[in-house]
Amino acid sequence: MSFAASAGPVEGPGGFHRVAFTGKASEYFGIWIVNVLLTIVTLGIYSAWAKVRRNRYFYGNTVLLGRSFEYHARGSQILVGRLIVIGAFLVLNVIAALVPLLVLLPTLVVLVALPWLVARGLRFSARVTSYRNVRFDFVGGAGGAFKAFILGAVLSVLTLGILTPLASRWVSRYVGSNLRYGGKAFDTDPKLGPLYASWLLSFLIALVGLCIIGLIVFMNLSLILPMIESPDLLTPEQHVPLIISAIAGYVVLFASFGIAGLFYRAGVRNIAWSSTTFDGRHRLMSDVSRSSYSWIAISNLIVTLLTLGLMRPWAAVRMARYGWEHTGVAFAGDVGELFSRIEAQGSAVGSEFMDFEGFDFGF
Amino acid sequence: MASDKDTIAGGEWHPPGSSQSVSARLVEREGEVAAMPAAGEKPLAGAGLSWLEISGRVGSIPRRVTFPDGSVFETWDNDGIDRYLAAQGRGGAGLVHWLEQFRLRLVVIVLLAFVLGGAVYRWGVPALVEVAIWITPPIVPQLMSQGTLEAFDRTAFSPTGLSDAQRKAIAEGFARIAARSPRGEAGYTLNFRDGGVIGPNAFALPDGTLVVTDQLVDLARGDTEMIVGVLAHEIGHVELEHSLRQFYRAAGMTGLIMLIAGDVGSAVEDVLVQGGGLLALSYSRAAEAEADRRSVELMAKAGYDPTAIARFFALLEEKLGDRSETNILSTHPGTPQRKKDILDYSRIVTGRSAPDRQ
Repeated sequence: MSFAASAGPVEGPGGFHRVAFTGKASEYFGIWIVNVLLTIVTLGIYSAWAKVRRNRYFYGNTVLLGRSFEYHARGSQILVGRLIVIGAFLVLNVIAALVPLLVLLPTLVVLVALPWLVARGLRFSARVTSYRNVRFDFVGGAGGAFKAFILGAVLSVLTLGILTPLASRWVSRYVGSNLRYGGKAFDTDPKLGPLYASWLLSFLIALVGLCIIGLIVFMNLSLILPMIESPDLLTPEQHVPLIISAIAGYVVLFASFGIAGLFYRAGVRNIAWSSTTFDGRHRLMSDVSRSSYSWIAISNLIVTLLTLGLMRPWAAVRMARYGWEHTGVAFAGDVGELFSRIEAQGSAVGSEFMDFEGFDFGF
Repeated sequence: MASDKDTIAGGEWHPPGSSQSVSARLVEREGEVAAMPAAGEKPLAGAGLSWLEISGRVGSIPRRVTFPDGSVFETWDNDGIDRYLAAQGRGGAGLVHWLEQFRLRLVVIVLLAFVLGGAVYRWGVPALVEVAIWITPPIVPQLMSQGTLEAFDRTAFSPTGLSDAQRKAIAEGFARIAARSPRGEAGYTLNFRDGGVIGPNAFALPDGTLVVTDQLVDLARGDTEMIVGVLAHEIGHVELEHSLRQFYRAAGMTGLIMLIAGDVGSAVEDVLVQGGGLLALSYSRAAEAEADRRSVELMAKAGYDPTAIARFFALLEEKLGDRSETNILSTHPGTPQRKKDILDYSRIVTGRSAPDRQ
């Protein structure tokens, strides 16, 4: 499968080359079940190597212009990183348990260390990823990670979600604009307007869910009030509608908030990718449909649970395929010429051997 | 010219650290592996097989062959590479890839994963918990307990308001049952405190420090034997090392779930964590029942009424059932069931048969 042969036909409207995902559920099933088995047998130690095989499979099947991405981390690196983080966490908690005055110590250290770990983790993930023999790099620091991931999350929670688009913008900018490939920069700047438009829809979905729950509570008020006052007076027959409405309430709650969250995630993905450029000239694009994305995520979860996890490989491949097939890049100028000029630059070369993974962070 | 039979695989060759690539094929010639341009006879790179770094096979993703000069040959022809490696006695694609193939034998691996997963949960985690308890030096529960009591003293507790006579009566009863426990009387220290916001309660810390609040003593209205029964229950928690056990079990389960999370996905991980929480509650209830039985045994040995603690549950039900804030009841298993279990067990311990069979 040569690069020259596949460069032409995949170019779609607007000059976008779509990413393809070539993974197959049957093929991944074997990798997955062996990962699970060996992780169980080794009481979790193999999970570091399992992660390498899983990521090599998914990166290696993510294909742009006939060439796949590659994941280069080694199991030992990931294991060492995890041992360091777990060890530090244990020591902190033992200290907190022994000295009650320091009970807040682990929380404080985590708050201080987390941004640093996130930045390290992103850098590790970028540096162990390559495309066409050139590694990615990540140059974000702890300060930016603090703003994007901790300050953003706190503001989002404190304002009951109203500032969530701002937090999403910070995260996208931090992750996107600090990414490098062959010494050239990516740049991401999602605008608040589209983010709020996407957020408003999710907000309305969650609001409808809350209204339905309120209605259920209101309809059962005649039963709920006496239950709080004197639970013994209710007959078993009166319990039945209460239990049914409680279950209905939970289903509505999870469904509405779940769909709202998935819609928002898909919306942010589109906005963030589509506002990203590489080297100031080449544009990235995402066009997932919010309803298809949510349907895939929800049906994946249901099928996985109903099959006791056995359909998880199918679900993972299905989601990866949908996401990548709705992602593309528009190159300015001649692609062949572009890739003949990109060279690995400075710090990204080989330095991942000195790195540890730090914090398991999706990338 | 290298003949076709020497060609290992076709693919793309990259100079070191460059995204530029040329169409190339991997050939074996004169005992070396070389990357040859598609058109041309001048090797792009070459080295003996032992100098090459060949990435392991995962599914059918492209393989990388890295030459000592840092240049890379990339190919989708996994089978070609594996055939060559097998011919050189290098084991082809390797054992893990052999296991992973979508063949009938995968059924065995699926079954093994379920069986071993169950076994790790049923025996592996408990065994690890025992090992962790065994290697925990005694100083750890001691320091933990001192710290906890200090923290309570600082925040909720104040010195006891009980009379000397009340305390003496309880302490004497406590000494009688403590002497019957394997740790002996010296293994425990009984403390009296005004419980403040904590209210009527008794609890044991892992080093054998027991605390009983004035409010609990008041609730008993002079029934010292009943208080001793409650303390015997707390001694049971200390003897059976319940708090350390629960801590290690929760930590072990959380750790295992986190380690397979990457393979099961975050949504399934959430479901597992919730399920783990429910299971932890069931372990907590099992621990309460164990401590209840220990109370019955100790009370019987010391010559007390073995069912004294059942009177305490009756009292809890009566007193706290009146109030709406019943947080003690909610942490315990069903109180009527507990009372019944205690009465049944006391008959076994004291060798009497059930009344309806007399």
